[in-house]
Amino acid sequence: MNDSNIVGQWTSAPGAHDIVTGKARYCPDLRLPGMLIGKLLYSPHARARIRHLDVSKARAIPGVFAVMTHEDIAGENSYLYAAPDQPLLAVDEVRFQGDAVAAVAAVDEQTADAALNAIEVEYEALEGLFDPLQAMQAGAEQVMSGEENVMMSRTYRSGDVEAALAAADVIVENTYTTPWAEHAFLETEGGVAMVDDEGVVTVWSSCQAPHRDRMQIARALAVPESMVRVITPYIGGAFGGKDEAHVQIHAALLACAAGRPVSLVRGRRESILTHVKRHPFIVECTTAASSDGRLLAVKVRAIADAGPYTNATHEVLNKFGEFIGGPYQVQNLEVEQIGVRTNNPITGAFRGFGAPQAAFVYESQMDDLARKLDIDPLQIRLLNGVDTGTRMYTGVVVREGSTMKESLRKAAEMIGWEKRNQSERRPASHLRRGWGMATILKGSGLGRGLADHAGVVLEMHRDGSVALRSGAADMGQGIVTVMAQLAAEKLGVDISSVRVVRADTARTPDAGASCASRQVIVSGNAVLEAAETIRESLMTIAAGKTKISKDRLELKGGKLLVDGEPHALSVADLALRAIAWGYPMHAESRCHFEYPDDVPEVTYKYSQEIFQFCTHIAQVLVDCETGQVTVERLVAVHDAGKMINPGGVYGQIEGGCAQGIGYALTEELVVQDGHTQNASLENYVIPMALDLPELEMGVLEVPEPSGTPLGAKGIAESPIIPTAPAIRNAILDAIGKPLYQLPMNAERVLAAVES
Amino acid sequence: MNGPEYIAPANLGDALRIKHERGAQARVIAGGTDLILRMRDKVLAPDLLIDLKNVSLDTISDSDNGIRLGACVTLSQILSEPVITGSYPALAGACREFAGPPIRNRGTLGGNLVNASPAADLVPPLLAYDANLVLASSSAVRELPLTGFFTGPGQTVMAPDEILTEVRLPSMPAPTASVFIKLGQRRSMAISIVNLAIRLTLDDASRVSAARIVLGAVAPTPIRAGASEALLTGQELSGELIALAAKKASRETSAITDVRASKEYREKMTRVLVRRALESIRDELQRSESSG
Amino acid sequence: MAEIDIRMTVNGSVQQLKAGAGRTLLSVLREEAGLTGTKDGCSSGDCGACVVILDGQPVNSCMVLAPQAEGSQITTVEGLAVDDELQPLQRAFAETWAFQCGFCTQGMLMSCHALLMSNLNPTREEILTAISGNLCRCTAYQGVVKAVEQAAAEMRSQDQNRHE
Repeated sequence: MNDSNIVGQWTSAPGAHDIVTGKARYCPDLRLPGMLIGKLLYSPHARARIRHLDVSKARAIPGVFAVMTHEDIAGENSYLYAAPDQPLLAVDEVRFQGDAVAAVAAVDEQTADAALNAIEVEYEALEGLFDPLQAMQAGAEQVMSGEENVMMSRTYRSGDVEAALAAADVIVENTYTTPWAEHAFLETEGGVAMVDDEGVVTVWSSCQAPHRDRMQIARALAVPESMVRVITPYIGGAFGGKDEAHVQIHAALLACAAGRPVSLVRGRRESILTHVKRHPFIVECTTAASSDGRLLAVKVRAIADAGPYTNATHEVLNKFGEFIGGPYQVQNLEVEQIGVRTNNPITGAFRGFGAPQAAFVYESQMDDLARKLDIDPLQIRLLNGVDTGTRMYTGVVVREGSTMKESLRKAAEMIGWEKRNQSERRPASHLRRGWGMATILKGSGLGRGLADHAGVVLEMHRDGSVALRSGAADMGQGIVTVMAQLAAEKLGVDISSVRVVRADTARTPDAGASCASRQVIVSGNAVLEAAETIRESLMTIAAGKTKISKDRLELKGGKLLVDGEPHALSVADLALRAIAWGYPMHAESRCHFEYPDDVPEVTYKYSQEIFQFCTHIAQVLVDCETGQVTVERLVAVHDAGKMINPGGVYGQIEGGCAQGIGYALTEELVVQDGHTQNASLENYVIPMALDLPELEMGVLEVPEPSGTPLGAKGIAESPIIPTAPAIRNAILDAIGKPLYQLPMNAERVLAAVES
Repeated sequence: MNGPEYIAPANLGDALRIKHERGAQARVIAGGTDLILRMRDKVLAPDLLIDLKNVSLDTISDSDNGIRLGACVTLSQILSEPVITGSYPALAGACREFAGPPIRNRGTLGGNLVNASPAADLVPPLLAYDANLVLASSSAVRELPLTGFFTGPGQTVMAPDEILTEVRLPSMPAPTASVFIKLGQRRSMAISIVNLAIRLTLDDASRVSAARIVLGAVAPTPIRAGASEALLTGQELSGELIALAAKKASRETSAITDVRASKEYREKMTRVLVRRALESIRDELQRSESSG
Repeated sequence: MAEIDIRMTVNGSVQQLKAGAGRTLLSVLREEAGLTGTKDGCSSGDCGACVVILDGQPVNSCMVLAPQAEGSQITTVEGLAVDDELQPLQRAFAETWAFQCGFCTQGMLMSCHALLMSNLNPTREEILTAISGNLCRCTAYQGVVKAVEQAAAEMRSQDQNRHE
């Protein structure tokens, strides 16, 4: 596959034509005969007891087809991402501003609004718990009665941290805080549901995990999973925020109750108020080193504000702990992970899953350490970086780690790290310029010991065309394109010959969630494996027809090649014969993430084994009178293992960097006493076209030695992770003052300048 | 929920007559970029929308001693008008930094005024240029200075039967220099944390003969920093004077803390930005003096 | 609520619609004209997903009331391709990966199309300014800049050929 005209090319996405012509249909674009508009009534309180709930007036409004409360849910009244503690519709208490209390379906939006207005709810406002530090104190009132506010408390230890701290020459100790961050996927959460002629509840869902949606919907409806079908239409972004279910379950409940199709799409304000956010963390971190800059120990205590419900808190804290040591050779590490319930917004998956918070901490610590020791930030990282074969503090051995240092060197070269001091550091009396780097590792897959597999069904027809059925949701990240490329490559056909059937639980096998940078690996492997079966059939026919041994034959561009020269037989000719003679031309494959058994004594739970290394270096200009930070340059060097589609890879890097710049400088959900103050795209400030530098991207391709398709690595999450600490370190370099809180908005930077 | 009635009168006379008949329950709509939002958020629920699109209030014309802008000219129109980019750069600057192109293509000069947002970007430059407004009703037309037009957030002196029809800007005597500065959280689509416009006119002896320092987003309405203006008037610009004027201006604010910035930050930024604006004006005036 | 007759030309064909005065152009295009290519990202003029071209200028269709558009000429994403033949700009968007999820794309296309109608040789800064009211959360803007530059080059050479 070296001289490929498919893999490694900027092949356009199969859906590109639909998108640029406006034909692509997303949930809000679906229209069904008799379709109703669904809406949810959300709590205006961060915490309140529901004293009285009366929906009778709403039910009486002409044009209202269904009004539901928790009493009308036949099955389980709960989301089920991790623990069944978040109700779909509140029972006797609301615990955050986004808890839903009732659901309505009506002929149009006005009537649905009128129904919401006619619902009588008597709340008894209760004092909420909004400070995780207070909520975790013994004796604090319980956010969920009968459940401890500290929902998770776990400490992982490797080596002897206390002894290493005692022996250290230098110690850096700081406390970091990070904000709630909002995904702001451009398409808000939506679901469209109907009951078909056979009684199957069919739900179009803007989601990341259609098969898990199906399970959740079936449980809520109390029907067999076989009577539920979940289809993904085009999806307008997700970034982790559509991993957990949102309104698709309610849409299904309403469609069943109303006996008509229901479309339920959140408005922007509702969306920001109700779906999970990136967890805010408070992290105390102590890092110890020898006088020559070698890391000796890292000791961490991390507190995550979970909001009232469990959601992904355990998993996010788990990944935080897995990465808090960074891509460094540090054996003595202790990390205490604490998740606390509050009445603040709910929290969950968001690109990076605990790793962005961890990287802000460990990469800031590295620069503080470098300054204290007067060592160059590049050198201290090269000194401590992992290599191939390094055993991490998690117990895992890095299978391919050369790109840790290679990405550092390449990024340094691209920005001109050694020559940076020749540039103007003080272009005007109030301006300071600085450079900062951050280097990280990010794993792919859910982790050792967890069910982590994907299935694919591939079929080649008599004319050589191919149907590829995969349950992997494509929210824009490009998995559909990657799978089509891999199938086309392996089967020797043009990419236009491959039709991908988008995720539909009735037609496609379960591929698990599109999360954790996993699909390119696990679904990619499944595609190659399934394609191999079909390819073998084609080659057997070809060898038989031509009487030429298979090692001289090749399939490419729809043709059979003999010794590299086109033969009269096409792939379609071979397919026709293979089907006629009963060779397997329909293949199903299921691939798992592989975790070798010969790793001795893995001590960190659910640790990953395939790592992506990357380095970002930022050049910033700080206005010391206003605190405004301009990112003048951002170099991003990533290891893709093997690029299946450069367009997708560069797009992911650029998009992640843009989100990272927002996380660094402006993005913060402002929450006061559980109430979000900036639930709009006007006031939740995301960088736009004029705010971003022209990114300088470098891609390394060092193939993962085993377990991934052609050596490719997942690249979805890493680009956001090092951006904020790189900018933080550049600001430190510019103004000589460290910041420990995200975002580093103008006011906070000015306070640092003036401190 | 009942929506409003809608009418697009063919001429100003009809518009004024309808406004007179329906009073405050009728809202005039021009671009609609503020009004539609407020209707959606149910802050406003007018009975009737009077659309001015057929009423010819969308021209920019020279007059004897200045220019006249129809209330319905869009921000994009202002930006593409050489008279304004040449002679009223602070107004052009405010339009350039306003939202993004799709909003600038709809949002109007008059809308930005009558909505009376404390952070309205066009108001500081208009005040700095001593703009007058023309308010018409079915019975009278009055011209009044923009100073004093705003009485609070969202509040103006307009009577329920009046429509803003025109903004008049006097010619600026030479040598005059002016500048607009906006501090926002991003370079487009930003609501100002602080915005300001400053205009200085010099006399023959290079002393300040007229000073306008107008601050936005730091008080319930855009304000003129009167004490600071007085300090400059009659003086030659010096570094110390500029620093003092900037300090004084920040004391004239009554800012609040909101989701974008704290009161203290707004006060500090007022001082920094007034100083920067005055320095840039001084430099410009010096340049024009040496080249003239 | 009295419904108003609204006549406008959308993508070259005259549309006779009825809508309450409080309805936005966005809502009418999507619900009455069935043109769902135009997206609703925020309903508040902040994201640009709903940008259409109204009498030659890109505007947020969520910030225009339907009756305000009476008598006007409107182009939506559905009106770009002629007989399913993609315009250079659309082709360039697909080729340069100027989008991922595609939800911002039609608004982005409209802003860029309007730019190219008046300027076939835009600078990078002009392109960025033209899309400074369009939010892309997936892949940011470099692909869009590349796409506009590629399309502009192709359109310039088409222009030249036509004049020769």
